[in-house]
Amino acid sequence: MPEKKHECIDAGSEYCPCYLAEVNECITCSQLQGKSFCDCNWRGVCIYQEYVWAGNKSKALRKEYIGEVLERIPLTDDAMILKIRVTKTKARELKQPGSYIFLRDLKKPDFFNVPMSIMYADEIEGIIYVAVQILGIKTKAIQAVEDSIVIRGPYWNGLLGQRYIKQTFDSECLMILRGISQAPAILVINKLVSQRNQVKVIVDPGKIGKIFIYDFINKEKVEVIEQDFLSQEGWKKISTELSNKNLSLVYSGGSDKQHLEILTEMEKNNSNAYLVVTNNSEMCCGEGVCGSCSTKIDDNVTVKVCKVQLDVRKAIERRILQHG
Amino acid sequence: MVKVVVIGGGWAGCAAALAAQKAGGYVTVIEKTDMLLGLGNVGGIMRNNGRYTAAEEAIFLGAGELFNITDRAARHKNVNFPGHSHATLYDVTKVEPMVRQLLKEKGIRLLIQKRAVDVEMAGNRIKEVVLADDTTVSGDVFIETTGSTGPMGNCLKYGNGCVMCILRCPTFGPRISISLKTGVEDILGQRAAGSYGAFSGSCKLNKDSLGEEIVKQLNETGVCVIPVPPEDVKKEKLDMKVCQQYALKEFAENLVLLDTGHAKLMTPFYPLEKLRKIPGLERARYEDPYSGGRGNSIRYLSMAPRNNAMKVKGVDNLFCGGEKSGLFVGHTEAIITGSLAGHNSIRYCLGIPLLELPVNLASGDIIKYANERIKTPEGLKKRYTFSGAEYFERMKQKNLYTIDRDEIRKRVERVNLINIFNERLI
Ligand SMILES: Cc1cc2nc3c(=O)[nH]c(=O)nc-3n(C[C@H](O)[C@H](O)[C@H](O)COP(=O)(O)OP(=O)(O)OC[C@H]3O[C@@H](n4cnc5c(N)ncnc54)[C@H](O)[C@@H]3O)c2cc1C
Ligand SMILES: Cc1cc2nc3c(=O)[nH]c(=O)nc-3n(C[C@H](O)[C@H](O)[C@H](O)COP(=O)(O)OP(=O)(O)OC[C@H]3O[C@@H](n4cnc5c(N)ncnc54)[C@H](O)[C@@H]3O)c2cc1C
Ligand code: FES
Repeated sequence: MPEKKHECIDAGSEYCPCYLAEVNECITCSQLQGKSFCDCNWRGVCIYQEYVWAGNKSKALRKEYIGEVLERIPLTDDAMILKIRVTKTKARELKQPGSYIFLRDLKKPDFFNVPMSIMYADEIEGIIYVAVQILGIKTKAIQAVEDSIVIRGPYWNGLLGQRYIKQTFDSECLMILRGISQAPAILVINKLVSQRNQVKVIVDPGKIGKIFIYDFINKEKVEVIEQDFLSQEGWKKISTELSNKNLSLVYSGGSDKQHLEILTEMEKNNSNAYLVVTNNSEMCCGEGVCGSCSTKIDDNVTVKVCKVQLDVRKAIERRILQHG
Repeated sequence: MVKVVVIGGGWAGCAAALAAQKAGGYVTVIEKTDMLLGLGNVGGIMRNNGRYTAAEEAIFLGAGELFNITDRAARHKNVNFPGHSHATLYDVTKVEPMVRQLLKEKGIRLLIQKRAVDVEMAGNRIKEVVLADDTTVSGDVFIETTGSTGPMGNCLKYGNGCVMCILRCPTFGPRISISLKTGVEDILGQRAAGSYGAFSGSCKLNKDSLGEEIVKQLNETGVCVIPVPPEDVKKEKLDMKVCQQYALKEFAENLVLLDTGHAKLMTPFYPLEKLRKIPGLERARYEDPYSGGRGNSIRYLSMAPRNNAMKVKGVDNLFCGGEKSGLFVGHTEAIITGSLAGHNSIRYCLGIPLLELPVNLASGDIIKYANERIKTPEGLKKRYTFSGAEYFERMKQKNLYTIDRDEIRKRVERVNLINIFNERLI
């Protein structure tokens, strides 16, 4: 049986074809996997054509650049929002849901790079916002950053199920967010609202202790409810919301465990809604090279989740299995 | 109710859909572009040489509807051009809406601008076809008529790149091989030089861009033959053509133009500057493929192994027709193989023996002959058409070629198959 094709988030972008094409490892194109004939998972462009026309060369990798830290807005002792000046072009590239970048202190080596979601990108001023929760070595190094910060990007695979966001119009959407995961939800909320959807957002502030999305969304168009949902009672409310048959799209921002619980609940209710989740893989290069994000899906198939829009169910189940 | 799903709405797919519908099936056609007929939107030559015999056979067999349309849409009848006699040239700008209307009237469900991307199997059977928009179409039996053209990567690797042909992959996405998705390997046609695939053999010029004299001659007679300046004659180009029936030296030394609504130019491609050196062609521009000055589409890279009843080997409920089913060239060839596939899809569902056309009919003979030849390395370099080259020679040798309608009717009567494709089986 021929293998199922994977969907690469970068296919057709200005970073495609990427280095993987040069070594016959393209995620999309059979010709660039070393096969003799076309059998691709078409994403709207012929990657092989782009590659051959560029003289059998891939496009340049994303380069690092320096952003100016304009402001740090503390959320708690261990979390803050960074307001960073970049070029307008860079900001524009980071407007789509799922956008993220790698950040690191100027004085630290490459392996301090840490993936961070874009909360908000202002292309007119050339400003991006990220919310950072300080956890361990790499994020502590971010906390110590002074005026300048090293950025590498844009990357886009921060959410799984992105196409469902693009195709949902005039519908009811439910978003369930916990803690720092409020950050990547903002681009999603704004996108869904711009597509005339009715968006309800349930936030459990978790360790962050507060809701920090208000300044970045249109409060009149979005219903935001605070609800601790780790308690039994709280979860009951979530499951009532999930039983709403009119939902077209459910978004889960939080841990894989949270994703799985929501998916299970939706299945119990025979929900027809599409599920979109934050991509919680560990990432280091974002280019499908280093292997930090490798996830085994079928017995012999390993997928680099930094680039592949993995099936949501597969991603969650496999990661929970792998990590116990 | 037997649910028949046809993937690919070219001539073969339309013929399969009609035959399956007439035999009693509920038929859905999935077509990736915004038009039915596929390459039929840029061809037009019917009834030349042995295609005449084959078309009449098909009419007596009960598959006359589509020939009726191409006859009605004819701009010229009984046209002769080098190596070819009594051709009918249909108007490519008229024929697609006529076929679409017929299929609709028959109650055939058309899924236009829907591209099949995968299959779901249950054991050795196809359960459903998955479309690019993630929806699925389920059926009892499936007929693959996706042709063999492109997609872009193949046209680049084995040709001169995407030249924007009528299938318009950049817009509608690539052809896929359904049979390959079920796990059955494709068979690949070869070129004389041993490379894979072949260039399509003709292109079309915009008639309004041609000189008055040429247009007048085309409108009046259907044909216009213009000598190529000696320094531009390229005989090696004949080797790379799909259409070996046109690989004659007359076609290298002359530009042969035929009036099919546009001016059909019987050569795979011709650099525009050179073309414009020829008197009367100073303003010429291409109508199909849009970059006909650079190249043409690459074909024959995806044939399914099949038996002579058009069933794909290795999958229980998959049939095939047209270019998907062998190294066939032509609308007539696509309609005949497609009709048989459509008819047999119903027989298969009812568990009754599949129909094979006898070899004393040209249609039965070509289906069998092409299937034998495809198993040999030389056979893979040849194309099979009633209209010329190797197979027309064979037709003549076996006395299969005739333009006598009574004789053709008698042949079909003798094998007891009059109107077989009009029989309702359910
Ligand atoms: C696409 C994406 C977007 C993210 N967006 C945000 C965000 O907006 N705000 C935020 O605070 N955090 C975000 N994270 C998580 C953040 O990257 C990790 O918290 C950070 O890498 C932890 O590194 P550490 O060295 O400080 O902690 P460690 O002590 O090394 O690890 C703490 C936790 O973070 C996880 N982690 C460690 N290294 C990585 C890594 N390279 N990639 C991903 N997870 C890792 C570990 O599995 C562990 O659960 C995002 C992660 C990804 C993949
Ligand atoms: C330029 C040119 C001129 C020609 N001139 C003549 C002529 O004058 N006379 C003649 O007899 N023959 C001519 N031919 C040859 C003839 O057109 C073909 O052999 C015949 O029409 C093939 O029919 P088909 O149905 O097998 O394939 P196609 O016409 O290729 O049809 C296949 C169809 O399947 C669709 N499809 C493919 N993949 C998918 C998918 N994944 N999902 C949904 N749909 C899909 C395609 O869009 C297409 O509509 C010409 C060919 C060309 C290219
Ligand atoms: S993060 Fe390096 S391969 Fe995915």
